[in-house]
Amino acid sequence: MTIAIIKYGMGNVASVQKALHKLGYSSIITNDPDEIRKSAYILLPGVGSFEAGMINLHRLGLVDLLTDEVCIKKKPFFGICLGMQLLATFGNEPHKVKGLGWIEGEVVKLHFSDDRRIPHIGWNNISLANKTNVFLQEFSGLDYYFIHSYHFVPTTNSEIVFTVDYGIPIVAAIKKGNIFATQFHPEKSQEAGASLLKKVIGSHA
Amino acid sequence: MLKCRVIPILSFNGFALVKTKKFASNARMVGNSIQAARVFNSRNVDELAFIDIYASDQNRKINLQVVKAIINECYMPVGIGGGVNSIEDIHNLLAIGADKVILKNMMIQNPNFLNEAASIYGNQCITIAVDAEKKEGSYFLYNRLNRTIPLFEFINKLTKFRFGEIILTSVNHDGMMDGFDIELVNQVVRMVEVPVVANGGGGQPDHFKDLFARTKIEAVGASSIFYFTQYTPLDVKKAVSSIGKPMRIITKNVITNTDIREI
Repeated sequence: MTIAIIKYGMGNVASVQKALHKLGYSSIITNDPDEIRKSAYILLPGVGSFEAGMINLHRLGLVDLLTDEVCIKKKPFFGICLGMQLLATFGNEPHKVKGLGWIEGEVVKLHFSDDRRIPHIGWNNISLANKTNVFLQEFSGLDYYFIHSYHFVPTTNSEIVFTVDYGIPIVAAIKKGNIFATQFHPEKSQEAGASLLKKVIGSHA
Repeated sequence: MLKCRVIPILSFNGFALVKTKKFASNARMVGNSIQAARVFNSRNVDELAFIDIYASDQNRKINLQVVKAIINECYMPVGIGGGVNSIEDIHNLLAIGADKVILKNMMIQNPNFLNEAASIYGNQCITIAVDAEKKEGSYFLYNRLNRTIPLFEFINKLTKFRFGEIILTSVNHDGMMDGFDIELVNQVVRMVEVPVVANGGGGQPDHFKDLFARTKIEAVGASSIFYFTQYTPLDVKKAVSSIGKPMRIITKNVITNTDIREI
């Protein structure tokens, strides 16, 4: 099984590949349509601004291709950080722009009336949104590394898998069929991250 | 709940780790940077920062091969700084696995660069290094550009630009292991909305307890304590946790289910 890590000029692809390699998965860092089509799994990483991310995906001709592979052909997909936010209908970084629209919702800036810091940076524990989710139960309560100023607000709650508390409940992970995505960085979250990647990706292997 | 972070901030000269006192030029050689990264990774530290403290002075770029080898050892976030003065530099560091870049001279010479970088990579990616020097009761922004810059005035101006975090180092306490500059930390934390990493002066666990008890800080940097004493980042975290601050304390390897050995 080869995992295609999408290269679209939005940050840290090397760390994702290193984490996958350590887990024994082969991956390629690519934006080549043929390679993406041939891959068994698609991983969209990313740090950076929502608008820059969408512009890059459009420029590389990847929006239709990824939508076809993931939403029509149902290829398993893992999004990380910006790679989760881009699934939304709209983003607002730095102003309102259309996202991939695979999961209905909007990405908005964190805003607090107290002196809570923005960005939300550091290790924070996640909680299962639906306590009957036995498959991912073991990760509930573990600390993962977050670094973001915007957060995903889905239209319905049914796709939320994990939340994280930062004054308000923030979406930490979402799942919709073959799509799984995290706001935190599993590839930067030491063993807690590695075991989650292994379990989620492994369920499709 | 968000945990407080303890971040080893390691300065190197491009190859070996060095440790300064009060930023003086006679830095002491303290070890191998790649080995240090390996040790800190095995100790599950929250985050690491590596700064090539002479890159800008010597007008050279950071050694990407060494940085790559360092990052390769790390399964936690890593910030890298030293001589970063173009979008290409940032791109190069992110491409080999850095999570944040740490800027200093550019923030002084061309703060618009912060906005340019943040508009591409996001604010969270841009950390600024603010080195504060106290002279005759007043704080100045330490720099080697021959400029006299009143510190708080500078930070005030800087809040109009985009960045995600500040590493705030007290030059007077750097390497002295005599405790943190609480007054400085409190002042800066009040002025900005981003997280502040307080650095400079941590020499024993009690210093960290004192810092967290008397400020609203959520992250602390340190290096000398890890080179010159028996204390590890875990000892520091246990101390701070004893005054009720949330800390991520990892004592077991969850995969092999073995205790983490002190190295």
